[in-house]
Amino acid sequence: MTTRRALMLAVAACFAAPALLTGQDWRTVTMSRQLGDLDEVRVIVEYGAGHLTVRAVDEGLLYRMSLRYDEEHFEPVADFSGNRLHLGVETVGRGFNLGRRGETGELELELGRGVPMDLDLEFGAVRADIDLGGLALTNLDLRTGASESTIAVSEPNSARIETARFEIGAAEFTITQLGNLNAERIEVDAGVGKVTLGLDGRWERDARLSIDIGLGALVLEIPEGLGIRLRKDSFLTSLDSEGLVKRGDAYYSLDWADADRKVEIDLDAAFGSVKVVWIR
Amino acid sequence: MHNFQFRKSLVAVGLGVLLLPLALSGQARQVVSKQIAVGQSEATLHLEFDDEGRLEITFEDGSVLVDGEFVGRYEPGDALDNAWNALLGRAISLDDGALAAMLADWTVPAELAGDLADIAQDIDRALEEALTSFEVSVDTDGGSISVSIGDDSSLLRVLFNSTSRFGLLEQALTDLDGDFRVHVNEDVVIPAGSTVEGTVVVIQGNLRLAGEVRGDVIVVDGSLELLDDSRVEGEVRLADARIVRNLGTVRGGVVDVLEDERDLEAEIRDRLRIELRDEFRGDLLNELRDVSRIGRDEGRGISAIMSPFQSVFHGIGGLLQNLIAVFVLGLIGAASIAFAGDNVAAVAETARRSPGRSAMVGLAGSLLLIPVWILGVVALAVSVIGIPVAVAWLPLFPLAACAAAAMGYLAVAQNTGEWLADSDYPWTGWIRKSNPIHTVFGGLLGLMFAFMAANVISIAPFLGFLTGLLVFAGIVVTFIAMQVGFGAVLLTRAGRRRERWNTPYDTDAAWEAAMEVDVDSDPAEEAAASPEAQEKDHNDDA
Repeated sequence: MTTRRALMLAVAACFAAPALLTGQDWRTVTMSRQLGDLDEVRVIVEYGAGHLTVRAVDEGLLYRMSLRYDEEHFEPVADFSGNRLHLGVETVGRGFNLGRRGETGELELELGRGVPMDLDLEFGAVRADIDLGGLALTNLDLRTGASESTIAVSEPNSARIETARFEIGAAEFTITQLGNLNAERIEVDAGVGKVTLGLDGRWERDARLSIDIGLGALVLEIPEGLGIRLRKDSFLTSLDSEGLVKRGDAYYSLDWADADRKVEIDLDAAFGSVKVVWIR
Repeated sequence: MHNFQFRKSLVAVGLGVLLLPLALSGQARQVVSKQIAVGQSEATLHLEFDDEGRLEITFEDGSVLVDGEFVGRYEPGDALDNAWNALLGRAISLDDGALAAMLADWTVPAELAGDLADIAQDIDRALEEALTSFEVSVDTDGGSISVSIGDDSSLLRVLFNSTSRFGLLEQALTDLDGDFRVHVNEDVVIPAGSTVEGTVVVIQGNLRLAGEVRGDVIVVDGSLELLDDSRVEGEVRLADARIVRNLGTVRGGVVDVLEDERDLEAEIRDRLRIELRDEFRGDLLNELRDVSRIGRDEGRGISAIMSPFQSVFHGIGGLLQNLIAVFVLGLIGAASIAFAGDNVAAVAETARRSPGRSAMVGLAGSLLLIPVWILGVVALAVSVIGIPVAVAWLPLFPLAACAAAAMGYLAVAQNTGEWLADSDYPWTGWIRKSNPIHTVFGGLLGLMFAFMAANVISIAPFLGFLTGLLVFAGIVVTFIAMQVGFGAVLLTRAGRRRERWNTPYDTDAAWEAAMEVDVDSDPAEEAAASPEAQEKDHNDDA
């Protein structure tokens, strides 16, 4: 399922709900696979609707997945071939169920700690709690539709990412400890919603952060001591740049020149607000 | 004679398998993948092993299946069901060695009795057999039989638990003798350059042949792939099996032992289909006669006489309304393209390249319209200077929103028109893709097609349901087009800011990358700005 499909799924769900309140047969599936001999694995996770949890796991496993889903409308996917692992659910049948009586699907995914991994996460109408700490990410692509997502990178990435991409549709999206991601470049493309980017964590090198937001609020949580340069290209967007000074066409943190690590932020925003919050 | 030897061979195979537990020692198999599925009426354990073997035990809708084969019945909530669920509960948290040990150690619970205990015994045996691997070789007087078993419980089931499979085997193996290599429930590859003496039998598996078989090839419930330069000296016999690729040489020819049965099945199926069709046709005619009779009985008077014409007038009127709407919207589209062609193109491109994202943004934007409008009025009204602006804001904001929605819809219509121009539909030949006016009109007709079809169909009687369905489809299409278009307008700031794509579909970017040029730059300007040109200018000035 691509982001496009995930988004369309979410849109369709909103307008077809009355017709889709059909019976639900909840099914729980637990899957796991041993690590084996792998140099690097490409992991694709696709999840349409429900609650998604991702974290690292030890125990010599490539992955462990626990999935609760409505078997009338979904079926689990767990394909492993070559060095490609495809996990998640895909839609079957005609309907899509939003869940009655407060019931929603769940996907709990644990990925092998320290396994070099090209991770591709796509989810639609999902509440996501993702901790990428402990994973050895060589690449990261995260695409989300209408979601409430909290991403953390609780431990430094032992591998190096050239460009980490976050494509956000209409969401409340929070990511913390971005420094631990060990990425040279981070791209955030958000449509509508509230986006919070925490630039804390351990920055191994200077980095560039490119943010493109359509309609909504952006909160930049910046740790003291991190050098920041912010360039803004915006339309009808307010900027609360507390702690930043404007020089030329850019905003700089006070310790920009002396900072050990520097992050250059390119911000392109249409309607909304941008707020800078300093954290200790 | 041949038949006697076949029976002897088969008995040897059976005996060999029956003697497996006595003659051979098991070796622990590594579990590389585990899947446990639990639903309202299902509880399944699926294991994959390091040698690509598999085991699946399923409790579903009152039936217990081992690798798809029925082994008994249970009642949901009975002792066997509870014992199985308890076993799966323990297996969820275990992997590999610990999982294998726990499953292998599982024994029939003491509280089970009768049939349930027998089923549990089968499960226990299946688990134990699956968690160890075997190789079998049986010598007979008339030749040798080697048996390789992917999932060692399956041969037992194939030979003894399933009479249909047994019959299938008998059909496939009739008149054969000599050496046999039997593979059960596993895929077999005979590589190029290798030669197999004797007959190769593959049961419930796939055979991929690149080398040579100096004997017959028999595939039961599987597939055969004959690669380039492969060779079979004898016959190829297929029983409930098929050839997926045939690039080799089969000297003895290919025999499908179930062909006659299949022909009979097809004949019965055709006969049934004809009978059902005739019956259905008769029922439908009776229904129509009844409806017609009721209409005649009820329709006494002028209104009844006119009622068929009313639906005609209604349908034609609706169709005219649709055509007028297409015409008016098309004129607006033409004007938009004439005065803001680049903006419309940017919106159309975003709607085409990111429809999902556009739809989400459009949806969110639609939901936010009224709050933003009210908040704008409130925010402006609190200051003296803002009050006159608020007066303008009140009508202008909804107008701007409507204009954005119309622009988005027309951009989506343009995309639809381009798609129709590319399609092979006979009635779209008049749409020239190079002409945006054509594509807009074509797209509008396409987007409103469901409404128009509904109006045409409403003329005919008895098709009210189909009319309603088409109207609903039209509403859905229009709504989605509006949301995608409105979102694309927001994303591109009314076409003033083009989205950036670096995908292979971005032809300009791909061309730039391939030619190392910038398509947006002016070659004349570039030439003038080059160091050589500047030096030349300097010399000229001097």
